Amino acid sequence: MSDMQTLDMLKIGQRARVLRINDDNPALKQRLLDMGITTGVIVRIDKISPLGDPFCLELRNYRLLVRRADVSAVEIEVLP
Amino acid sequence: MKIALIGNQNSGKTSLFNLLTGNNQKVGNWPGVTLERKTGILRTSTAEVIDLPGIYSLSPYSNEENIVRRFLLEEKVDLIINIIDSTALERSLYLTTQLYSFNIPMIIALNMTDLAFEQGLRIDVERLSTMLNVPIIPISCLKRTGIKELIMLITKDTPTITNFPSLYSQPLQETIRKVAELLPIDAKEFLAIKLLEADVELSTKVDLDVNESISQLKAHYKLGVSEILANERYNFIEKIRDEAVSSREKPKLLTDKIDRILLNKYLAIPIFVLIMLLVYFLAAGPVGMFLSSLVERGFAALNDALANFLVNVGASPWAVSLVVDGILTGVTSILSFVPQLLILFFMTDILEASGYMSRIAFFFDRIFRKVGLSGKALIPFIIGTGCSVPAIMASRVIEDERERKLTVLLTPFIPCGAKLPIITLFAAYFFPDTTGLVSASLYFLAIIIILLTAFVLKRVFYKQKYSPFIQELPTYKAPNMRYVLRDTGHKTWSFITNAGSVILFASVILWFLLSFNWKLQYGVAVDKSILSDVGRLFSFIFYPFLGTNSWAAAVSIIQGLVAKEQVVSSLSIIAKLSGGDSIFNSPLFAFFTPASAYAFMAFNLFSAPCFGAIGAMYQEFGNRRTMIKALLLQTIAALLIATLIFQLGTLVEGLL
Repeated sequence: MSDMQTLDMLKIGQRARVLRINDDNPALKQRLLDMGITTGVIVRIDKISPLGDPFCLELRNYRLLVRRADVSAVEIEVLP
Repeated sequence: MKIALIGNQNSGKTSLFNLLTGNNQKVGNWPGVTLERKTGILRTSTAEVIDLPGIYSLSPYSNEENIVRRFLLEEKVDLIINIIDSTALERSLYLTTQLYSFNIPMIIALNMTDLAFEQGLRIDVERLSTMLNVPIIPISCLKRTGIKELIMLITKDTPTITNFPSLYSQPLQETIRKVAELLPIDAKEFLAIKLLEADVELSTKVDLDVNESISQLKAHYKLGVSEILANERYNFIEKIRDEAVSSREKPKLLTDKIDRILLNKYLAIPIFVLIMLLVYFLAAGPVGMFLSSLVERGFAALNDALANFLVNVGASPWAVSLVVDGILTGVTSILSFVPQLLILFFMTDILEASGYMSRIAFFFDRIFRKVGLSGKALIPFIIGTGCSVPAIMASRVIEDERERKLTVLLTPFIPCGAKLPIITLFAAYFFPDTTGLVSASLYFLAIIIILLTAFVLKRVFYKQKYSPFIQELPTYKAPNMRYVLRDTGHKTWSFITNAGSVILFASVILWFLLSFNWKLQYGVAVDKSILSDVGRLFSFIFYPFLGTNSWAAAVSIIQGLVAKEQVVSSLSIIAKLSGGDSIFNSPLFAFFTPASAYAFMAFNLFSAPCFGAIGAMYQEFGNRRTMIKALLLQTIAALLIATLIFQLGTLVEGLL
């Protein structure tokens, strides 16, 4: 699929629904799942570090710092 | 009775532990303050409460999670107190759903309900309790409410049964039950789940093949088992949330307003620099210097009075010299820095408690990652401004082993409290107008050297390996002054007791070695003393950055191994015995120029740390070889940096 989007592509303020996480790195995947990045959850890019990376995500009423590279396996659907 | 206190990082666990046990453990507003478990006795009872590290899950990927897992598997726990951050209810309950699988009776302490209320969340505690089938006590560690009720419930009405709701859909629930039945040990359900998740640690320890069940589940759900489990746990939680929590429109939070400035694209780094400048300006600049000079004057008067008294009662000259020139000079030269340290410790404690540390990690992560460190390394580097020993231990929050060892190696580069006396002593004398600025410059120099060293080590010794950075961003909290003051007092007090024990003892030995020659004749000139001969043996090592062979500076630097503040104490005693009324008036230290003074500060900053920190490094590295290599590397780096500073500085001085 050419139009498949992943979480690292989002811009500040954008919201998205998580579809699934790729299996490339099981340890990283488990960590993201544990922090609440599961199928169907809605995330928003709340802040971006002054140096461009990491991200601050808002999900499940809390904030999570992640690097772009660490969420590139999270497939999403951008919400309007 | 054994009670385990379990909750997310930064959920207020240690505060609750302190309230339950009357203990005084350190509390901070950054994830991972509790690195090891701590035990206390519950007030009004004999029950043992164990404070475990904060965790989000029971996966085997972090040290903290492994500690908690092993604890629950190996120790017989009678009750779990699961502390929950009401503002992050879903993420907190995720851990609760995993704790279910141990089948240990549980109480939920619902913390920060007031904050949740401010954020527009209305939690129906009774409904929540019924749906989770766990007794819940709303508490506030900050306002100390609900603690009595919690203790009452634990002691009078101890929950003994576990009848937790089932979380998973069929056939997952059934598969877990079947696998659990095949296991001969305790914690069957937990182990069954971990086997199905193909847990890297436990799968090898339990001899049971569940591959068939795993493939069946995968075929049925079209997802990996860990994903199914996480999805279903969160589905269960969302159902509960929908019934027990109603949310109003979220008001603009103060945290967001503060972050808009402190995390602003252009302002974030300048503000950080300003904050650290302020810390050093207050501690080492005019304010701290003024306070220290008052203390110093008091000690000088005490010194004179005591000398007069001893002479009047007819004490022999050597006894007067031992007490006045040795012990008093050594100890009070250190104690006069107490006001400055008090300011430094207080300021860094406030930074720690406010939640700003996680922000520093957030905006510096990118730079740190480039050199093979993560933003999490900032935490030890900031704690290190107090003392390297707890800072080195705090490096355990870093999951990746290579990254952690690199952090342990680099943490002693940070100017700790004991190095501050050296820095302010030289900065005040040689840079009287810019003392605060020069002191802060050593902090920033330390950061630059840390980045450079890490970069070189990464290039030369390590293969590039990537480790993720995933961390919660806590909301700002007004520092709890009780904890801040207690911690500041604790650090300052340990500095004072160190002066009264280690420094005092070292001063006596130093006085002896400076007052006697090899024939044990008393009263020789200091440069005929035993110590002067010892110092001459290796003073050449320090020649490149002092510009002269000084035995007195050499022996003082080496005493930094005992404790860094001993360097100042040693300079003072040598100066006094050589007849100088202040350190830099002594003929032995008249050679110092601003260039060699700055180089001297830099060498003491970067060379091998004190024995206490060396011990902590040894503990974290786990073997002597790595530790010795690290010490050599630090000292060689220090020599190079100091020499470079001296040579460049001398060049500049020549031009001016």
